[in-house]
Amino acid sequence: MCWLLEVNMRQTTSPNLLKHRLWLIVPAALMVGIFFLYPLGFSLYSAITLDDGGFTLSHLNKAFDLYSKDILFTIIIVLVSVAILAVLSITIAALITLSPFRSLTKTLGFLYRLPLFIPFIVTAQMMRTFLAKNGLMNNAFVASGLLTPMDTVSFLGWSGIIITFVWKQLAFSTLLISGAMAALDESQIRAARNLGASRLSILFQIILPQITSTLGVAMVLSIVTMMSVLSVPLMIGTGSPTMMTADMAFRINSYGDYHVANALGLVSYCICAGLAWFYLRQNLKEKGAN
Amino acid sequence: MAHLHIQNLQAGYGKKLILDKINLTVEQGEMIALLGPSGCGKTTLLNALCGFVPVSGGEIFAGSRSVSQLPAEKRNITMVFQSYALWPHMTVAQNIGYGLKVQKAKRAEINRRVSELLSIVKLEGLEDEKVTALSGGQRQRVALARALAIRPDVLVLDEPLSNLDAKVRLSVRHEIKALQKQLGFTSLIVTHDQEEALVMADRIAVLNQGKIEQIGTPEEIYHHPSTPFVADFMGAENHIKWPTHDDAFRLNTSNPAAELDLYFRSENAVLATPQAASKDDLNAGLIIHGHVEQSVFFGNNYQISVRCGKHTIQADHDQNLSENTPVTLSVPNNALHAFDKEGKLVAHQKNHAVSVKSMRMNHVC
Repeated sequence: MCWLLEVNMRQTTSPNLLKHRLWLIVPAALMVGIFFLYPLGFSLYSAITLDDGGFTLSHLNKAFDLYSKDILFTIIIVLVSVAILAVLSITIAALITLSPFRSLTKTLGFLYRLPLFIPFIVTAQMMRTFLAKNGLMNNAFVASGLLTPMDTVSFLGWSGIIITFVWKQLAFSTLLISGAMAALDESQIRAARNLGASRLSILFQIILPQITSTLGVAMVLSIVTMMSVLSVPLMIGTGSPTMMTADMAFRINSYGDYHVANALGLVSYCICAGLAWFYLRQNLKEKGAN
Repeated sequence: MAHLHIQNLQAGYGKKLILDKINLTVEQGEMIALLGPSGCGKTTLLNALCGFVPVSGGEIFAGSRSVSQLPAEKRNITMVFQSYALWPHMTVAQNIGYGLKVQKAKRAEINRRVSELLSIVKLEGLEDEKVTALSGGQRQRVALARALAIRPDVLVLDEPLSNLDAKVRLSVRHEIKALQKQLGFTSLIVTHDQEEALVMADRIAVLNQGKIEQIGTPEEIYHHPSTPFVADFMGAENHIKWPTHDDAFRLNTSNPAAELDLYFRSENAVLATPQAASKDDLNAGLIIHGHVEQSVFFGNNYQISVRCGKHTIQADHDQNLSENTPVTLSVPNNALHAFDKEGKLVAHQKNHAVSVKSMRMNHVC
């Protein structure tokens, strides 16, 4: 669409026509402005101003005083989740790409996509009934005789949050990664095989170095998604420490304190931006090396 | 390098059989070209040799080792791919040395072998370049060096020149041939280009619908095709079904009633206008009278389309001729490939082929 517009604009010489065509992008620009830029700008503004409009860092100070543990907890949860996510999605995508068992990979190719179509709140509810002390998982262990009811442990808490995040985001990141792997020229893999390389060597030496940018995109997007989910820490977490989204909801619902909630929003925005910057820098370095 | 022996090989995709009972032996240091039209199974044969397509029957021997049931990584048969299949994140040296690295060779040994191969394929000084910075011809040479680095038993080349432009193709073609003679690697090359096969191969195997139609030296295949398909594929594009029941055609044969398929090349059809009527018609196997339909300039000559009843015959001529000029075409006996109804070469052609073949064998001995 963009290039079409560009071509059209190049062909046009009359400024009137150009002005006329600029109106075409107004609906989209308005949507972005009203529903994205304005709330974002307002949120940032609210995080660093007093009610009378004066500049202040007190909301940020308060957010750090009260919630620095939760900020750290959020970062750790997200990084651990994304590390597990990377390992699992690379494993599944590699199995789909390299496994000689076609029927198995077809089944796997179908199964891994299912979580894509399940919303976070449903996933959280599912995990609640699955991971609780008397949940589905422990009941299955007890019924099979592997555990007694006394030995069962609840996974609700930090581990539950990680499991839920990984389960939900696995489909998305595997989809991106297996797509990138499938886009590689099949003969590159064959060339490595007939030079004697095992499938594991091919994965680490031939495939992964060529899909790092897609892996980075999948991970950065997953981090942003995990940072913004409210239902999972509320439904699976134990309350303290908790994730920043739960704190923001608490500030607004209990105190109507939009300033500190927005200050926490600013912090989470900076964390995401920091990770994205790290990824972009790595990516540019690699491109520079190429 | 070892010799390659393929015995009753059957292979295909799923339930579809592409190759049916292929028997082929490539002697040590020999280069055989697999020649055939698209879809005839030549690339499938290479894939079956390398282990990329499962073998459903028969055996493949590399030297004395049966490799048909081994996985691709254990066969020691390497391929040069049509798309080069170089790894873009590696340098030239890393690409070439990869096979040795996988075999856990020492770094010094890898470096020595890589330098040796770079000098063989004339790419010295480019070891630290990314392969993406190379031209098509250079990439193909890197691919060749990479495949040779691990000293494979057999080297297979899958249309290695088809992605190169015409001029580079000619030089790379001669380089590969020269390397093959210098290093003496046992190799199979797949191509659909007759000229490429004639120039590069020691022997040619013509494939059609998953079967080898004929195997022989380039001269045998070119001059003495044993089936109508080979004749047609090797450029004998003029085809006449005999008898034609048309007075414009005359065939010097002892049995004029025999049903034959006649094939000949345009370069072998001697064209004469009424002004320069040929006097040595007696030596001609086939004489055709017709009219010029079209004349096309081909650089060193004109290709004349001659209309004779329902047939259009192509003939080469050194002069341009105007439309409807009456002409006589004569094809010498030895340039005429005649096949009977079952597609078998008729006797005099067959004998000729055998005599040439035996002459060649005596010569080799």
